[in-house]
Amino acid sequence: MLRVCGLSLRYPNGKLALTDFSLTVEAGELVTILGGNGSGKTTLLRCITRTVKPKAGEIWLGDTNLCALEGEKLRRARLALAMIWQHASLVRRRSVLANVASGTLGRHFGLRTMLGGLPPAELHAARGHLAEVGLADLAEQRAGTLSGGQAQRVAIARALAQRPRVLLADEPVASLDPEAAEEIMRLLQRLARSEGIAVLCVLHQVDLAYAYADRVIGIRNGRGVFDLPCSQVSREAVHRLYVHEAAAA
Amino acid sequence: MSLDIVRAGAGGSVCTPAWRRALTGALHFVLALLGVAIVVQALIVVEARPQDLVTGIHGMADLIWRAVPPDFSRLPSTLWPTLQTLDIALFGTLVGIVIALPLALLAAANMTPSRYAYYAARAVIGFSRAVPDLVWALLFVTAVGLGPFPGGLALGVHSVGMLGRLFAETIEQMDMAPIQALELTGARRIQVFSHGIVPTVLPTLLGISLYRLDENIRSSLVLGFVGAGGIGFQLLTAMNLFQYQEVSLLLIIIFVIVLSAERISAALRERLA
Repeated sequence: MLRVCGLSLRYPNGKLALTDFSLTVEAGELVTILGGNGSGKTTLLRCITRTVKPKAGEIWLGDTNLCALEGEKLRRARLALAMIWQHASLVRRRSVLANVASGTLGRHFGLRTMLGGLPPAELHAARGHLAEVGLADLAEQRAGTLSGGQAQRVAIARALAQRPRVLLADEPVASLDPEAAEEIMRLLQRLARSEGIAVLCVLHQVDLAYAYADRVIGIRNGRGVFDLPCSQVSREAVHRLYVHEAAAA
Repeated sequence: MSLDIVRAGAGGSVCTPAWRRALTGALHFVLALLGVAIVVQALIVVEARPQDLVTGIHGMADLIWRAVPPDFSRLPSTLWPTLQTLDIALFGTLVGIVIALPLALLAAANMTPSRYAYYAARAVIGFSRAVPDLVWALLFVTAVGLGPFPGGLALGVHSVGMLGRLFAETIEQMDMAPIQALELTGARRIQVFSHGIVPTVLPTLLGISLYRLDENIRSSLVLGFVGAGGIGFQLLTAMNLFQYQEVSLLLIIIFVIVLSAERISAALRERLA
């Protein structure tokens, strides 16, 4: 579903952030990326969303190459790509339901949504997505009143409202307590399995990767180090990702 | 070792050469003299003559005596000017908001479409605040004649200075993460604006506007003195006609307006927060 081929990116300061990086995520698969700080994990996701433009490489979303598109065509193609972050990034003053429904804005462009109104046809579906993440009873509450775990689940519901085929997650559990973190990971796994969404998740917690991922990709200094089914990833290989280069040599 | 240093330090101040102590003393004396001179020149410049206040106090007492009791029979005739004063402030605030909002978007570093627009908007905002509302009123009087309209316009243009700056600061301090999240869902710019930016900053902008309305009500009273109409103008007329019982009534009304505007504005702002 998501296929990245030979992606390279150079920072303005000349340092290579990504070197010839490739990966695939099939529909229904939950793939996690492990790597130390500054290894290029976040940059990779920013490349895939085309927030930054890669120097070389292709990003295939289904059968469209995002790297070949610009402007309105890129916006349309990107609708199938949803993303969540470490922080839920909700509009705190609006209701939970409004936040979820705002995930559909890309499909609805008219006077009503231009003036801040929500597409009425989507409200029912939005409640459904809230139910899917287990928060149906909080629909009318202000987003600012939620706990971290609840807010992250609302962010996932907003991503679902976008009807994505690929879901990117950048350290989605980094600021949550262990219980809430497990809950979010279970939810992501379920979405991959039951909705057939391709989930690509950057993680810092190795144990969570082992517990929930179908496949684990190791990244170090902007290069892919391994790409293996979860059961074949050794603890040493993971450990080597986090060891400082000088120490490893 | 450390003890030695302490002793040397303590001894140092005692053993300062005599000329040096004399110099510090002289310096303190000169500074004190300078302070006195500044106060004295201020007294001379404002022509302060306390004896005049003492000899003239009976005149003040006489005036206050003639002002009581307030002439409450004039109350109905003050209703219209009161409404006018409040409406000048309301109109001015609304004009200010309408002009300040687009300017603030240009003058917020995180929203501005270009550096030039940013500096131009900042300059306009700064200029409208630098020119006092009385001067704006005189300018508008030459354009549209005497009356409440130039007063309202003056308040509006002057308000742009404060509203524009605070609006821009509010927008700059906004959390950008939800905005970027909305952009990535595929929402268009205008949708990001109406669904992300507006709900985030609106309560703060309303609070600032209410605060400005409270200030404008007080300014509107003063503008009445220079011909903008309203209760300020009635106060001036009553003074000129020596109708001191009406003056005291008007002062009571002004007191009530100012105090309740402040309380209501504060209460509303609290509810917004």
